[in-house]
Formats: sequence, structure tokens, C-alpha cells
Amino acid sequence: MAKVELTINGKNHCFEVEDRTLLVNLIRDHAQLTGTHVGCDTSQCGACTVHMNGEAIKSCTVFALQANGAQITTIEGLAKNGKLHPVQQAFTQCHALQCGFCTPGMIMSVAGLLKNNPKPTDEQIYHGLEGNLCRCTGYVNIVKAVKKSAELLATQKQSR
Amino acid sequence: MDQHHHSPLFTVDGAKLSRLEDLRLITGKGRYASDWNDPQQLHACFLRADRAHANIVSINTDKALQHPGVKAIYTGADALAAGYLRSANFLTFAGKDGMKALVPDRPCLAIGKVRFVGDQVAMVVAQSHLAAQDACDLIEVVYEDLPAVIDPVAALQPGSVLIHDDIPGNSPFEAEAGNEAEVTQAIAKAAHVTKLSVDCTRVTASPMEPRAALIAYDKTTEQYTVHTPSQGVNMTRRQFAAYANNMSEDKIRVEVEDVGGGFGQRSSVYPEYVAMMIAAKALGHSIKWVSTRTESFLTDTHGRGNLITATLAMDENAQFTALRIDWITDMGAFLSPTGPVSHIRNPSTCLNGVYKIPALYGHFKVALTNTALVAAYRGAGRPDIAYAIERVVDTAALELNMNPADLRRRNYIPANEFPYKTATGSVYECADLPTLSAKALQLSDWSGFEARRLSSLAKGKLRGIGMSTVIEGTGAGMYPKDEIELSANAAGELTAHTVAHSQGQGHQTSFAMLISDAMQIPVEKIKIKQGDPARSPHIVGNHSGGSRSMVGAGTVCHLAALKLIEAAKSLAAEDLGVEPSQVSYSKGVFQAAGSRKKITLGELASKKTVSVKAEGAFSKQTFPNGSHITEVEVDPETGVSEIVSYLTVDDCGHVVSHTIVEGQVHGAVVQGLGQVFGEHIVYDKQTGQMITASFSDYVMPKAGDLKSIQVEECPTMSKLGPLGIKGVGEAGCTASLGALVNAVVNALHPYGIKHIDMPLTPAKVWATIEQAKSQR
Repeated sequence: MAKVELTINGKNHCFEVEDRTLLVNLIRDHAQLTGTHVGCDTSQCGACTVHMNGEAIKSCTVFALQANGAQITTIEGLAKNGKLHPVQQAFTQCHALQCGFCTPGMIMSVAGLLKNNPKPTDEQIYHGLEGNLCRCTGYVNIVKAVKKSAELLATQKQSR
Repeated sequence: MDQHHHSPLFTVDGAKLSRLEDLRLITGKGRYASDWNDPQQLHACFLRADRAHANIVSINTDKALQHPGVKAIYTGADALAAGYLRSANFLTFAGKDGMKALVPDRPCLAIGKVRFVGDQVAMVVAQSHLAAQDACDLIEVVYEDLPAVIDPVAALQPGSVLIHDDIPGNSPFEAEAGNEAEVTQAIAKAAHVTKLSVDCTRVTASPMEPRAALIAYDKTTEQYTVHTPSQGVNMTRRQFAAYANNMSEDKIRVEVEDVGGGFGQRSSVYPEYVAMMIAAKALGHSIKWVSTRTESFLTDTHGRGNLITATLAMDENAQFTALRIDWITDMGAFLSPTGPVSHIRNPSTCLNGVYKIPALYGHFKVALTNTALVAAYRGAGRPDIAYAIERVVDTAALELNMNPADLRRRNYIPANEFPYKTATGSVYECADLPTLSAKALQLSDWSGFEARRLSSLAKGKLRGIGMSTVIEGTGAGMYPKDEIELSANAAGELTAHTVAHSQGQGHQTSFAMLISDAMQIPVEKIKIKQGDPARSPHIVGNHSGGSRSMVGAGTVCHLAALKLIEAAKSLAAEDLGVEPSQVSYSKGVFQAAGSRKKITLGELASKKTVSVKAEGAFSKQTFPNGSHITEVEVDPETGVSEIVSYLTVDDCGHVVSHTIVEGQVHGAVVQGLGQVFGEHIVYDKQTGQMITASFSDYVMPKAGDLKSIQVEECPTMSKLGPLGIKGVGEAGCTASLGALVNAVVNALHPYGIKHIDMPLTPAKVWATIEQAKSQR
């Protein structure tokens, strides 16, 4: 068993977990934040994407123990003071989700992508979404939502 | 041109939304099957067959039982003791010469034999998921291997190894549609006959949410409560009860909220769930199980898997005179609840596609193989028949040296012949195919293709154009009617209960829009509830599948709103002291004629129960139809195909939400694209091991595969219901297979290539080009 201390969405936690526990299982089963999803066992689908110390990562590729001391943001922590994050706004406004299962991972992934590249080209968007699978939308509206997110983020920056 | 039909946004808690369900889904508050927990729950894990066909000689669970945390282990003996041996099957019609299907038993845990890789052999229940998983590895199974048969044609050969002793020839069912003698005669007299065999490949739906269940047993009520992905809780409850030795349906409570995609794959009740019922009852704890993705590939029902030969006869004017379809449907090791119906009835209904063909004959033979089960997958036989027809028509055009658009135009069922009775006996309700097709040809600039082909050629790319015009039946379901329960509360808000479960289709928005329209109340004040175990057993209605929910439950939302207004008028009349005929209704307010006396819906609901149940019967079918045109560029050096344009013109009748309809079309077209260019469930032909059992081996479509799409509408209104709705969920899949393959084959015509079976991977396209070159 291992002791893991970490911060999730601004809240400090301390859990005793089996050594082989993955970060995604700590988030879902121990912290009981079920917005982060598991869609595969080979790290291909991206439904488990969260931010660890500000970077988008697949939480199924990290042992809980490796996140000791880390700052984690999950989909539940993305909206601030009851206001949706621009990527969340863009996803609904572009109808970039249907069943919603891949959506938390998509949104966390896109937020990470745009943090590192605020004005991606189409090719950069396709590349950036390569690690996230969606079965419902056909991706056309997701790509649109990435562009809309970039616009909203740029506007937000200007108005600061 | 993308998404110019966007419906207005809704405002909820200050957020602007496309759909009412979106707010919880974008903030992580959705509740899917694996999100349900019970503090006292135990965890199940399944030991699965690692071989395709073998007798089970012995199972030793001693070591596994001693593993820390393990509570119990169940095997086929427990399935036998419980009598959980037969899943439901919805095959109701008779086969050839009146034959009845031979439905093999499928115990919830294998008894005596395993029949495909992934077949469930034992279930370990433990205090943690990890303990259950570890203990599975400690179970010792001795097998006696048997030869496996993977290929459906081989399975049907005399002398093939038998998968079930009681199913001769591995063929549990054979069926016919139309008139064989008429077709044989017409083919003999034809001026030209085109014959083409296509493999509508085996694929898997792969909703992003893996299968999962939490199942509890209540000793006092003797009821099981089930949380699992479902396309409609009535259908789920019925299948649970049937599988659990025909127990009474009221012993099963199904509670479901969000479902992470379905596509037909979530319409079946699977054996793992009923095995969990045994443990829940015996151990007195809730049992939880969450499938891995590999288990999904191995054991979730697959889709398509049909070998189809189309023989098309035509006269000297290229008018179609007869079509013969010979169809082998691979159902895997057992019959799934929906598979045989999907792959026989649905294609029989649309055996002539969009064409006027006086003589039709279809012959359907079901094959069993040592592979996972096959069932409904988005379209459920409709894409398969449409694909075969649209490919044989394009092949005929090539052989006759005709423009494929002209050949189609010559043979479309004329608009004035609807309702059109087909030679297999179905009645196409309404469509205007010539107008719809003309719109698609014009918008795609079909006639200007040659210039675009030459400009691609100048870049070293082979450009191809493909069209596909299709029609499909929808509306009818298993239940005789669809009901909606609609109630108002003191705040003037409305709640509708439905059993048509959304798996992403957005019913909470589109159903609310219909009620909002009828009642002139903002959409935001209307809640659509699905999968509520307190309400759903009292509501008759179909699951969401077969593109039917807007036709059925959606239309009934409208009827329920009208009924609620009338019922509330009577209640308002009592309150206002006037006759009901004196009460008028507008925007949530009831007003007495000629006076200032009025009462709001909310005030009325605070005093009296304002609630109705409305119903609609949709036993006949309506027929969405559409024409898709796409252009591709193939790089002959690499075999890579790129889609350069994709246009859809669909007639799905009256559209409630253009945003949602467009989303459905996008998703379905890309699922078709997936099958055309990469997706394929592949088993090793000798061992029966699946070699595509993960997302690293099974080629899912990704962002950028379809860069843009133009979605257009060309409606004719259905008269099946008062709103003219036809349904749209499957249309994109039905048309896209044919359109995309036609386009790629068209690009390869210069090499004399007439057909390539899916998937059109770069390697296969390149090899086909190289082979064609070497033969010239």
C-alpha cells in the first residue's frame, strides 16, 4: 500500500492505495470524482485526460503514486466561480458532444492544447486530438469547437 | 457551408447551450453505468475462454477461492442451477417453408463447452476489483480443444465441425423474401445482367462507454435493481426477465441515467449481467462489474458481417427488371436477441433500394461460427442492403458505359407512385427521389467533375466521385404503442417521462422542443426524464433504436402536450367557474372567455393534479431517404485515400432540431467512413483469436478523417404522425458505405479495377493498383 497526498481541484487529499493503482482510479474511486472516464485499457481514447501540474495528461498512464504532491485539475474543477471555461462553452455551442462520455477528456485535452498553442492550424488541431476518440460526433463539430475555444480564450485575454 | 442550420441556443443558469443535457455533460456531472456505486458493493471479474472452441474438462477454483478478498466463484453449474440458460430472441417471423429458428441455449456461464474467444467461463466476486482480477488468474481450467470454424461459408459446408450439437449444418435459420421464379425468369430474359459479391465486413459499434453494471437484490421485495447502459429500460427489463428463467418483469427494476453511446450494441442484455444476479442474491451485496475495452471487443455484439451477392437484371433501355440478393449472415457462436431480425427483416423491407424493380427475390442464410455474437449496429441490415445495391448499380453503369447518375435517374421510383408497394410486400410511405437526387447532383456540381478530376491528376492524384441514394424503414417497434406521461408542477414547469432512452441523441432537448412548441412554454422549463424505475414500468413504449424515437416517443410528446392543455382546461374551468369550452389557453395561462378571470398552469398545478398520459401507435413504417455524393483523391504511390468533399441531402421529414439532425448525420457518416477505410474485426482463421481486440489494432476514425461536410435537407412529410417526422439516426451510415466505396472504385477505374472489398486501407488499395498494373 502507498500513501498519496495530492491536490485535486484545489482541495487537499490523502489516500492509502494499492501500489498499482492508476491515477484515474484514485480520481474516480477514492476521490469519487466520476467526471473523468475510462474508455479503454491501452491509453488510446483519452477519456481520462486531466491536468497534472498544468499539463494535460492521460490519467490512466500515471500511477497514483507518481502524482504524489501534484496539483490535479479534473473536469469538475474547470469552471471557475460558476462560470464555464471557454472550452466548455465552445463544446456545447458548437454541438461538439452527443453522448458526452468522451467529452470531459476532450475538453481537458483541448484546454491543454490551446494553452500551449493558442492559435492552432487545422493540421495542428487534428494532431492535437489524435489521442482522443469520439464515437458520436464524427469530429467535425469538435474541430469547430477547438477554433471557437481559441477565439473565446483570445477575447478573454484581451478583456483582462 | 458547415452547419448553417444551427438551431438557437438555450440559456440555463446563465450558460448558453445547444442542448439541455449539455450542462451536466460538460461539467463532469453526467452519470453513466460505471458511476453508480453502493458502499457495500462487491466486484465481479470474468474468466473468459482463451480459445475458440473446446470442451471444458474441469474447472478447479480451489486456489482462487483462497485468494484474499474473494467471496465466491460461479461457473456453469451455477447457471444450470439458476436456470439462466436462454437469452431473449426477437425473431418472430417464419423462415423458408415455414421453418422456425433453432435458437441455441446460451447459459450465462458456459456449461461444458466454450464456443468463442471471450466466452464467459467463470465469475469471481471479491471485495475489490483487483482481488477479483487476480483470483481469475488462479482458476485452473482443463480444456479439450476442438477445431474452430471462423469463416461463415466454411461453417455452412457439409462436414464442418458443429458448434452446437443440436444445430445441423451450423445454420439455425434460413429465410426468403419475394418471388424466386419471377426473378429467375426475368434474369433469363434480360438484355444485361450485372452480378457483384460484396463483403459487408464485421465491425464493432465501440461506444466510448464500456459495458458495466451494478446489480442489487432486495430480499424483502425479491426485486433486482439494475444500473447498466440501455437503449430503453422496458426492453432491457424484458430481456433480463426472459434470460433469468422467465421471471416476472416486475422483479426487475432498471434505473439508468446517461448512456455513453449505444448504436444497437446496448440493446442486448448480456450474460454477464444475469450471472451477476445469481451473486447479488446469494451474497446479499450489490455486485459491480466494468468491462475492459478488450472485453468489449471480444464480447460486445459485433455489427454487419454479411456476405451479399446482388444480381441485377435490366432491359435494353437499362430499366431494372429484377434483382436477386443472396445473403449469408454470420451471427457468431449464438443468436443475439436482435441479430437475425436485423439482418433479415430490415434488408427484406428495402430489398429494391430506391428503385422500381418489378421482380425481387432475397435468400438469407444464417451461419454460426466460433466468433463473438453479431447484432444490430446503427442501421442493422439497412446499410448492408443499401451498400450492396448501390455498388451493383454503379457496377452496372460501368459495364454499360453509362453515367451512374443517369442510370439511377432512369430507375428511381417516381414521386407519384408513392405509397409504393415493393415486390417483397413492404409499402414505402412517401419520398421524392428524383427531386432529392437532382438537388444533390446540382449542389455537388456532379457535371463539373471531369475538370476537377483533371486538376487532381495534374497533382498526381486519382480523383473519384461516388453517389449513393438510399431509403430505409423506421418507426415500428416491439411494443404496440409509445406512451408519454406529462405533468405540470406549481412552478409551471413540465416533466415528461419516456422509456425511449437517449444514448446521445439529445432527447432531453428535442422532446422538450416539441412540448415547448405545443404549449408555448420556454424549453428551459421542460424536463424529460428517462429510465426512472418508479415511472417506467407504467409506461408502454419502445427503446431508442432503428431511428424511431422522434417518430414514436417524440411525436407522442407533442400529443401529450395537446392532451395536457385540454385536461387542464377542464380543471381550470372548475376553478374559474365557467364551462371548459369557455376556457382558452395561451403561454401557460388559462383564461375564461369574456372575463378577466384567469389562472396560470403553475397555480392550477398547485391546487390539482395536472398530469396526462398520451399514446401513439406507429405499427406501420415511415421511410427516411437521402442521397450522398462524395469525392476522394487517391494517391497511387501510397494507396492513401483522402475525402475532398462530402455532401448529404436527406429527407427525414419534419426536422425538430436542425443542430441535432446535423450532428446525427455527421456521426453516422463518419461511422460509415470508419468501416470503409479502416474498421474491421479480424479473427485468425485457424485459431479464432481476435487480432483486432484493442484501439491500437482496430482503426477508429479520428479528427481530420472527414474535414468538412455539407448537410442539406429535402423533406417530404410523413403522414404516420401529425408532425411529419421520419427519423434520422441511421441515415448517414446507410448511405455513406456505398458513396465512399463508389468514389474510391471510380478513382481506380483507369486501372480497370471494378471492385475492392472494405476496408479500403492504403495497403490494400496500393496492392490492388499494383496488381492491376501488372495485369495490363
